[in-house]
Amino acid sequence: MEILKVEFLKLRKKTRIWLGPILVFWLIMIAYPLTVELLQDKLQIGFFSVLWIAILISMMLATEDIFTEDYNDGSLEQTIIQESSFSTNIGLKVFIYWFLTGIPVSILSFIFSFGTTQNFGLSLSIFPLALISSYIFLNLFVLGNSLSLNKGSVLGAIVTMPIALPVLIVLGKSITALQFDINFEGFILLLLGSLSIIIVLVPIVVSYIIRAHLE
Amino acid sequence: MTDNSLITAKTISYKINENKLFHNLSFELGEGCALLIKGKNGSGKSTLLRIILGITVPTKGNIYKAASIQICYLGHKNALKSYLTMRDNIDLMQLKNHKELNYYLDLLSLKKHLDVTVSSLSFGQQKKLALLRVFLNTSKLLILDEPFVGLDDATHEQLTNFLSNELIMGKGLIFTSHIPCEIKADSLVLIN
Repeated sequence: MEILKVEFLKLRKKTRIWLGPILVFWLIMIAYPLTVELLQDKLQIGFFSVLWIAILISMMLATEDIFTEDYNDGSLEQTIIQESSFSTNIGLKVFIYWFLTGIPVSILSFIFSFGTTQNFGLSLSIFPLALISSYIFLNLFVLGNSLSLNKGSVLGAIVTMPIALPVLIVLGKSITALQFDINFEGFILLLLGSLSIIIVLVPIVVSYIIRAHLE
Repeated sequence: MTDNSLITAKTISYKINENKLFHNLSFELGEGCALLIKGKNGSGKSTLLRIILGITVPTKGNIYKAASIQICYLGHKNALKSYLTMRDNIDLMQLKNHKELNYYLDLLSLKKHLDVTVSSLSFGQQKKLALLRVFLNTSKLLILDEPFVGLDDATHEQLTNFLSNELIMGKGLIFTSHIPCEIKADSLVLIN
């Protein structure tokens, strides 16, 4: 669990890494009503699409330099030679990034959702969706960034986007299910199932990719 | 592999794009022994260290390590966070509660810089900070890549004495160095 303490210390001093994505999310959600007519029913039409895209973008920004600094200063080599599992360390690192960006973004999602729809029940259901989807997106972008380590984050984003699209589709469908009250829990379980596979597989795959980079 | 062996390399080969860095290299390092790896620039010294560490996979051959051996490694990169203070970096290295920390901070004249960010320190001071990882290690084997680079004469001598004492205590040492040092290295591998 030392990795948690170490990452917290680093992120405490580098607020840009986790505060930046939250501010970008907040800016997108603030900017959205300004770009359409200020009529509540019209705001609701595209609100959830903007919400999911804002979460996607903020998670992409959160992982932009997740390994670059450690790769450049030799910290990754020190982590690899430790006795503790490298993939577990990666999984914990991703968790901390999600804790500092995904959870605040999910809380903001609930607030913006309630502010836009003024429907507490609907907004409350958005919260778990935002929590799960942000964790999924974060893991996917971590995978992309590990592939493009030291080659720029754009390549990582391009690699990740096709994998993230099905999640966006499920999120869109889950809002429809929520609004028509049909099997919303099924979509939550589907996302949870995907997440449970992703949080196990991604750290393992990423650990191999990083080892290959270090070679 | 003998009973007190820490590392055994058997017929290690490594090549990059058909360029053979070394071929069929074998050696064994026991407790209290030092191995100085010497060679020209680009001859594969750092690569050999990384192979021993398990970071790089050899083209051929195997490295056998003693069971659950802990390794202290200091490479070309110092693994320091330039935006953090020296105190925070010590915390990151998990050395904050080490009982000998204050002694070595005094010895290396680092104490007055504890709240200075690493980016403001000189190269030599950064190297000394990174060396705390070595001075306060609890490992059985030390692997050091050019540990004397950037050190003043006093620190050079302190490090030499420290490493010699570590050998007496039965630890193993594998290092590369272009700078002459007085550590008694039991084995010498020349790579061309």
